[in-house]
Amino acid sequence: MLAFLIRRLLVAVPTLFLISVIVYALLALKPGDPIDELRFGNPGFTYADYERLVKLYGLDRPWYVRYWYWLARAVQGDLGPSRRYGLPAGEYVFRYRLPNTLLLSGLAAFLAFLVAVPAGVICAVYQRRFVDYFLTTLNFLGLSMPVFWLGIMLIYVFSVRLGWLPAGSTHTPGLVGSAWAHFVDRLRYLVLPVFVLSSLQMATWTRFMRSSMLEVLNLDYVRTARAKGLTEGTIIFKHALRNAVLPIITLAALTVPSIFSGAVLTETVFNWPGMGRAIYDAIIANDYNVAMAALMFISVLILFSNIAADIFYAVVDPRIRYD
Amino acid sequence: MRSFLGFAVLLLVFWGAAFAGPRENNLVIGATQEPDQLNPWEGAADTKENILALFFIGLTYFDTRGNLLPGLATEIPTFENGRLRVYYDDAGQFLRQEVDWTLRPDAYWSDGKPITTADVLFTFEVQSHPLIPVTFRTFSNMVERIIVKDEKNFTIVYNAPNPFYANPSGRIGLARFYDVAPKHIWEPIFRAAIQEAEAQPEKAAEIITAKFLGADPATGRDPAKVVGSGPFKFVEWQKNQFIRAVRRPDFFLKPPGPEENYVQEVIVRFITHEPTLLAALFAGELDATDDIALSGYDPNVLQARLGPAFRVEAVPSGFIEMLNFNHFGSDLYGPEGCSVARDLLLHDPRTRQAIILALDREALAEAVFPGARVTNSFVVRGDIGYNPDLIQWPYDPEAAKALLAELGWADTDGNGILDRITPDGRKVEFRLPHVTTPAPFRMRAQELMMEYLAEVGIKLEPTNLPAAVLFSTEFINRGSVCSWPGIIQYAAGGGIGEVPADEISGELWADDPRTPEPLDNVPRRENGFAGSNIRGWVNPEYDRLHFAALMEFDLARRAEIIKEMQVIFNRELPFIPLFERVEILVAKATLVNYVSMPIARTPFWNAWMWGWEERGAVRVY
Repeated sequence: MLAFLIRRLLVAVPTLFLISVIVYALLALKPGDPIDELRFGNPGFTYADYERLVKLYGLDRPWYVRYWYWLARAVQGDLGPSRRYGLPAGEYVFRYRLPNTLLLSGLAAFLAFLVAVPAGVICAVYQRRFVDYFLTTLNFLGLSMPVFWLGIMLIYVFSVRLGWLPAGSTHTPGLVGSAWAHFVDRLRYLVLPVFVLSSLQMATWTRFMRSSMLEVLNLDYVRTARAKGLTEGTIIFKHALRNAVLPIITLAALTVPSIFSGAVLTETVFNWPGMGRAIYDAIIANDYNVAMAALMFISVLILFSNIAADIFYAVVDPRIRYD
Repeated sequence: MRSFLGFAVLLLVFWGAAFAGPRENNLVIGATQEPDQLNPWEGAADTKENILALFFIGLTYFDTRGNLLPGLATEIPTFENGRLRVYYDDAGQFLRQEVDWTLRPDAYWSDGKPITTADVLFTFEVQSHPLIPVTFRTFSNMVERIIVKDEKNFTIVYNAPNPFYANPSGRIGLARFYDVAPKHIWEPIFRAAIQEAEAQPEKAAEIITAKFLGADPATGRDPAKVVGSGPFKFVEWQKNQFIRAVRRPDFFLKPPGPEENYVQEVIVRFITHEPTLLAALFAGELDATDDIALSGYDPNVLQARLGPAFRVEAVPSGFIEMLNFNHFGSDLYGPEGCSVARDLLLHDPRTRQAIILALDREALAEAVFPGARVTNSFVVRGDIGYNPDLIQWPYDPEAAKALLAELGWADTDGNGILDRITPDGRKVEFRLPHVTTPAPFRMRAQELMMEYLAEVGIKLEPTNLPAAVLFSTEFINRGSVCSWPGIIQYAAGGGIGEVPADEISGELWADDPRTPEPLDNVPRRENGFAGSNIRGWVNPEYDRLHFAALMEFDLARRAEIIKEMQVIFNRELPFIPLFERVEILVAKATLVNYVSMPIARTPFWNAWMWGWEERGAVRVY
C-alpha cells in the first residue's frame, strides 16, 4: 500500500506541472488581455496608454516567459495579485470564495447523501411498487430539470410571490442583531441554493444506491441469510447495505473536488460568491493569477481525491490490495 | 416536536426582511457590476464612477441640467473671473495655459483632516509616476507643472491647450476619478510600493498592483483606511455582495432642509445575474437600481410590472449603437488592405448609404432597445455641438437598390444575392460579414438586419464573439488584415460636453497634422496595429476640424466646428449610427433626487440629496 501511495504521489507531481502549463497557455493564448477592457468606457484612453500598460504589466513577453515567472513564485507560495481586485490571488480565492463554496456545496452534498442512501434502499427493497415508482419519478425530475430553471422558479415562488425567502446573496447587508439572528439570517439565504444544488446530486446518488442495492440483494449470501431466518432488517442493514454502499463511497470521494470547485449556474442564479463564479469571472476578465490559483487548487483536489478513493476502497473492501 | 419544527420554519421564513428604505431611512441600490478597487487612478469606468461618487467629489461636477458646478473648488475658473489664462506668441502659436484653483475652506477628508494643496500635488505625482499603471494620461500629459501658492490655492500650467480643463473624470489631469486623493493615507503606501518596485523592476507592475492599487484604502479590508472627500463614509465592502456607507454630517454640500430628513445609509448590492436582480426588486429587497443594471429592458413593461410604487425612467445614456465598416479596402491602403472589404466596396460611401437606407432603424430600435432614439450623428442629443440639420436617413429600400445598382451590383443568377464582376474579373456576391457580442438585443438586431438587407439583395452573415475577444486588440485593431472584414457592431460614448475629446471622436480621426507620421491613429501593420481608428476611415478635412475643435476654448465656436464635423460624418457615414441607447433607472416613487443624465456621468452624482418623501426630503431634481 505504501509503495502504491508513493508511486501515485510521484506521478501526481509531473501531472500537476503539465496541467499548469496547459492551463496557463490556454489562458494566455485566449484573445484579449487585461488591458483591453480599459479602452472602452475610458474615453481618454489612447493606444499609447495601451502600449504603456501592456509593457508595464509585462504582457509583451511570450506566454512561456510569463509562465516561468508565475511558476517560480507559485512554488514558493506566492500566487501573485488579482489584477482586478488588487488582493493576493490566494487570499481572494481561499478567503473570500472558498468558504462560501464549502458551505453551499458541503451542505448540499450532505443533504443529498442523507436523502439518497435511504431513498435508494427503499427503492430497491420495494422494487416496482408505488414508492419505487414515486421516488424514481422524482429522480428523473431532479436529473432532467435544468438547475438555472429550477432556481429561477423557486426564486419566483418563494421570493417574488410569497416573499418568504431572499432572492439571492449570502446574508443581509448591515444586519444588526445577536449571533442567533445572524445564524438564522444565513440559513434563510441557504435554503433555496442548497435545495437546488442537492436535487441533482440526490437524484444521481439515489439511482446509484438503488441499482447497487438491487445487485447485492440478489446475491447468494443474502439468500443464505434469509434461509438462516434472519430478520429482513438485519439482512438489509447489516449485510446488504454495507456492501451496496461501496460504489457510493467512490462516488462521494470523487464528488469532493466539485464541493470545492463550486457550481457556476447555481452560484450565478442565487448570486452566491463561490469558486465556480470566481473561475468563470477570472477567465472572462483575464485575471490570470486568480484563474490559475483556483484551477490549480481544483486540479490538486481531483488528483488527491482519486488517490483517496482508491485508498478508501481498499480500507472498506478487504479483498482489494495494491501490491 | 412538530410544533417546534413549525416554529423553526416560520422563524426562518419571516425573520425580518432587513431591507428597509424609508422605514430605516436607508437606501438599497441593486447593481449588476462591481468596482474592482476604490483607488482613484486606475480602472474601468462606469460602476467605479458610481461607487466612488459616494466617497469622493472632484474639484467640479456636472448636474443633470448640464451646469458645471464647483465641488472641492470654491469656483469654476473662467476667462471672466481671471482664473483661466491662455498665452500665445506673436505668431499666434500656443505657449501655455494657466488655471487657478482654490480649495474650499470647509473641505475635509472623512477622517477629519483638511483637504489641502499637498493632496493635489501628491495625487498628480502618483498620476505621473511611470511605474503606476494609471488608466490614461491624455490630460495629465498636458500638465507642465503645478504651482502651489498656499494650503488652499494652486495653479495648473498646461503645455498644450486643454479646453476641458474644468471637466470631471480626469479632464483636469490630476487623476482618472475625482481629482484629489488623501496624501496622508496613500503616501506611505505609495513610497513603500515604489521602493520595492524599483528594487525588482521585473515584478514592478505586480508589486504596484498588490501593494499600491490594491492596498487597504482601495480594497476596504481596513475600513478606517478608506478615506474620501465625498458625501458618504465607507463602512464595509463584502466582496461580490455589497458596499455599505453612512452619511457624513461634516460634508460641505447640504440638501435643502434638515439633513436627518435625507438617506443616512446607502447599501449597494451587487447581483450579477439580471433575472435575480429583477426578482430582488420585485420581492422588495431593493429600493432602486443603478443605471447599468437593467439596460436594454423595456421601461414600459418594467413600469407595468412594478406598478405605481416604483418610477421607471428611460434616460439617455450618451452611448450610440453603431455598425462600423471596414474601410481597409480603400486604394489608400494598396493591395495590403482587406480584400473582402474591397470586393464589397465598403470603402465607397454609396455602399454605406445604401445599407443605411435599407435598414428600418426606427422599427429596429423599437424592437431591440425600447426607448432608444434613432440618430444620424456621432454626437448625442443634448450636447451643445449636436447638429439637428443633418440628412435624416430614411428607410427607403428602393433608393438603396438604386445606389447598389449604380455601384455595379445586380442579381445575375437569380439567387436573391447581388453579385458583381471585380476589375480583376472575379464574380463576387454581396455576402456581408457582421460580428458583434452575444448580447441578446444584438443577436435580435442581427436577425432583423438580415431580413432588411435580404430585401435589397445583401446576405448578412452574422457571427458572435465574447466581448473579451471582440474588444481584444488582436481582433478589433486588425481590420486592416481582415480580422473582421465587414461590419463590427458595438456601442461607444458620444460624450456630452466632451466632444471632440470623447470616445467616438477619438475613433474617427486618422492623421494628426501636427506630427510627421502618416495616419497616426489608424491601426496597420506598419505601426504595429496601434491607434483607435479601427475602421480605417480617412478624411483630411474631418481631421483638420477635429484638431481645431480640440484647441478651441470658445464653447460656441467649438460647437460650430463640431457641427461641421457632423456634416462630413453624416454624408460619408464611416459608421452607421443605429440609435442612441438609453439607461433604465428604477427607483421607488417616493425616493427623491435619484436622477441620471449623461452629462452628470452617474446617478450617484448628488448622493447627499437622496431622501424619502415620507421622511420629509425635498425633491430638487
